[in-house]
Amino acid sequence: MTSPTAQVREQEAAPGGAAIHPVRGINHMAFPTFDPAGTIGFYRDVLGLPLVQTMQVKAWGAEYQRDFVHFFFDIGNADCLAFFYYFGQEPYRDKNLPPLLDLGKHVALHVDTLEDLDGFHKRIEDAGLKLQMRVMHETVESIYVRDPNDILIEIARPLRELTAADAVDAMVTAQALLDILAGDGEPTLDALWARKAELIASGVPA
Amino acid sequence: MTTLYFLDAAEFTDVSAVAAAQPGARVERLPGYVTVTSNGPLIVDRRATGVRHSVWYSALAAVGHGRVVQYDKDALKVEPTP
Repeated sequence: MTSPTAQVREQEAAPGGAAIHPVRGINHMAFPTFDPAGTIGFYRDVLGLPLVQTMQVKAWGAEYQRDFVHFFFDIGNADCLAFFYYFGQEPYRDKNLPPLLDLGKHVALHVDTLEDLDGFHKRIEDAGLKLQMRVMHETVESIYVRDPNDILIEIARPLRELTAADAVDAMVTAQALLDILAGDGEPTLDALWARKAELIASGVPA
Repeated sequence: MTTLYFLDAAEFTDVSAVAAAQPGARVERLPGYVTVTSNGPLIVDRRATGVRHSVWYSALAAVGHGRVVQYDKDALKVEPTP
């Protein structure tokens, strides 16, 4: 008989995580914008993502609140990318964000096929926008472009489906990371590799 | 004995194969991983693997009883530790 722990691991290892939690994608991700014209032009007209909902809201509650317009672009699966435009708010941009942290913060949209990715590549170039990168990653191929709010937008297509091995490795990697962060030694990639090997050799992923 | 662990995924097959091809190396399949073990140093020539950079730099999943002394555009070299 399979142990409860093993059953959980089997379920967690299921590609896509189907049926083990009730979340069904992103309802919406929201960002402030100081350039509604550029934002609507970029998402609706360049990328072709329909504007599906807007709200105009009178300020209420906290004293820092301002009147605003909240607008939502469809990004598939009934998920949305949303923006707030606050009337009277001075534009703000963090110019001191280190490049590494800037690149680490981005939105990745999913497309299914190479043709879809090529289509967005062409849309971006035809609009005269700068394609930041086109990269073959490990399991996705991606293009990158900056939106008018300086948000880094990635569009990615899968190169293969994720497997149970990917999910198991994710669990092992996460456990190894937590272990080395909780330990006395300096947390490094070398320490992570070593701890992962210990966990695998001890049968943790089995 | 030093053991290199590679995720058992299509993109890493050429890396583990090159690692396994060196004299004295032994290959084993664990659930989810391919391991390459040797009593001596393990060296993988990146160009021999033919993989793109993103795959090369994420290929090493774990290292048992070894120290990574080189991992760059040319090679991965791991030496045994006690």
